[in-house]
Amino acid sequence: MTRFAAETATALVTLALGVAIAIGAREFGTGWTAGGPEPGAFPFYVGLLVIAGSAGNLFQAWRRRAQRAPFLDAAQARRIARFGLPVLAFVAMAVTLGFYVATAIYLCAVMRFQGGYRWLASIAVALCTSAFFFLLLETWFKVPLLKGPLEAFLRLH
Amino acid sequence: MANLESLLHGFGVALTAYHVLLMVVGVLLGILVGVLPGLGAPNGVSLLLPLTFSMDPVSAIILLTSMYWGALFGGSTTSILFNIPGEPSSVATTFDGYPLARKGRAAHALTLAFLSAAFGALIGVLLITLLSSWAANFALRFGSPEYFAVYFLAFASFVGLGGAAPLKTLVSMGLGLAFATVGMDTISGSLRLTFGFDTLVSGISFLVAVIGLFGIGELLISMEEGLRFDGVKARVSPRAVLEAVKTMPRYWLALLRGSAIGCWMGITPGGPTAASFMSYGLARRFSSRRANFGKGEPEGIVAPETADHAAGTSAMLPMLALGVPGSATSAVLLGGLMIWGLNPGPTLFTDRADFVWGLIASMYVANLVAVVLVLSTVPMFAAILRIPFAIIGPLIVVVCFIGAYTVAGSRPDLLFVVLFGIAGYAFKKLDYPIAPFVLAMVLGDKAEDAFRQSMIMAKGSLAIFWSNPLVATLTALGLLLLFWPVVARGLRLIMPRRPIDAFED
Repeated sequence: MTRFAAETATALVTLALGVAIAIGAREFGTGWTAGGPEPGAFPFYVGLLVIAGSAGNLFQAWRRRAQRAPFLDAAQARRIARFGLPVLAFVAMAVTLGFYVATAIYLCAVMRFQGGYRWLASIAVALCTSAFFFLLLETWFKVPLLKGPLEAFLRLH
Repeated sequence: MANLESLLHGFGVALTAYHVLLMVVGVLLGILVGVLPGLGAPNGVSLLLPLTFSMDPVSAIILLTSMYWGALFGGSTTSILFNIPGEPSSVATTFDGYPLARKGRAAHALTLAFLSAAFGALIGVLLITLLSSWAANFALRFGSPEYFAVYFLAFASFVGLGGAAPLKTLVSMGLGLAFATVGMDTISGSLRLTFGFDTLVSGISFLVAVIGLFGIGELLISMEEGLRFDGVKARVSPRAVLEAVKTMPRYWLALLRGSAIGCWMGITPGGPTAASFMSYGLARRFSSRRANFGKGEPEGIVAPETADHAAGTSAMLPMLALGVPGSATSAVLLGGLMIWGLNPGPTLFTDRADFVWGLIASMYVANLVAVVLVLSTVPMFAAILRIPFAIIGPLIVVVCFIGAYTVAGSRPDLLFVVLFGIAGYAFKKLDYPIAPFVLAMVLGDKAEDAFRQSMIMAKGSLAIFWSNPLVATLTALGLLLLFWPVVARGLRLIMPRRPIDAFED
């Protein structure tokens, strides 16, 4: 992936956001009355600002496209995926199985399959960490986290 | 002398056993987030903030600011021992800190860094003590137009002085402003920019954004490089401290210059990172030992560290007196003040004097606590970095997501963290500045309210921003800074500069 591609993609995303902001703001009136701007005016002009800035960035990127600067090579992309995909899995598990179970599975899997630890060590660290967070948040700070079927089964609510 | 009296009262508030304990906890947590990659001061404070919702505001701010000081110190530790800046603001410390440590003088490098940092912090706090109530009194004369002009000045100075590409700063800030408007509009009551999603009605929390942008984004960046810590082992003995203390007076010029740069950059929202680079650059340019810079020159550690901490502490002055933060972390703290039900700004000095002066007094004590703790815990925190990343990495990830969830207990926030994380990664790699985004998200509502109230006062005429000398000066300064990149280019065309700037282009 070249830097030109990344710059272009990012500028297009911010451009799209700018358009969405400006269109979304029009719903509330972007006019200027005697009482000052209507509720949509501020976001509307901010949206225009973002559009203008993004267009400028697109132009800047296009001007430098000949430099062929790299953005991400294959090895880097692999490292990002190795780190990022388990994170996504963790978030999916946190929403469905609850934070504590997700934490234990995530830690254990990363330690075992990426860190090369033995099963016993991985499971022990994962369980202790999960239990520590449970005690810290639920018992000490009384901040409830998302819980899943396991907590319901153990009546830990 | 009223300030001195208030300060003594403040020490009475800060020096209780409970508050000193909070400082110790805060500083230790701060050093930890400063040392760990991916966790820094802004998102460390964001992660801890939800746990302080039920605390007394004075205790909460002491805990969180102590964490800030600790993080500033922790960032220097990794810079010197591992050549990995724990914080963006300690990048300049790696230039000479790591080479000096490699020469076997790690303890000397660390002590020098901590002592000059403490010196910078002390100057910053002194400045706050002397100026804050004066600034607050001055700000009491401010009405909505003046406030909007101040916000405008803060935003404009990012574009003009931030150092990043002006258009990228503009986009980053514009997105922050737009995200701040999502949800209930405080003046008209309409639900803006929700696009029909119920979860957006309550708005997007800046804390969630900070955790994603700085936490996950930063982790992605460091993962891409393939993390490897080959550190220098160090233990700081009392003798090494004494030796470093003895050499300190030699660097008086670097100390004073660093403090001055730091204070200036902290009060204007230039921030600690820019301050440390500028201080390092100036020290190198004017030093008689210029050739030694980059090879382990002690002055190359003293200069950026002093400026970094002076900026970090003095960033609290505009936050307290005006309600305009000078750095990303103080923007988060400002958000905290609002969540605790305080109204940041000059009225805080009259309404909650115990809070303000308790905080200022705690800054003296907590920085002292931080120096002692950071000196004595160097081996411990260096050992933490030797724990394999297969354990530390997932732990940081888990802490980030738990922190984001505790902000409001909402599931979609987890998705937002992922999205902000990806955005943070792309922004960082493509040199979009993130601090303006955070500042805009925290101040967006207030800036918009101030603008609309001014418009109501002026019956829709923009001329109100020129209606008196004070507001006109502020507006003019803001416009000048906003168009500074254009102005500077014009000036360069008229009078070409000598090509001496190593940091340019």
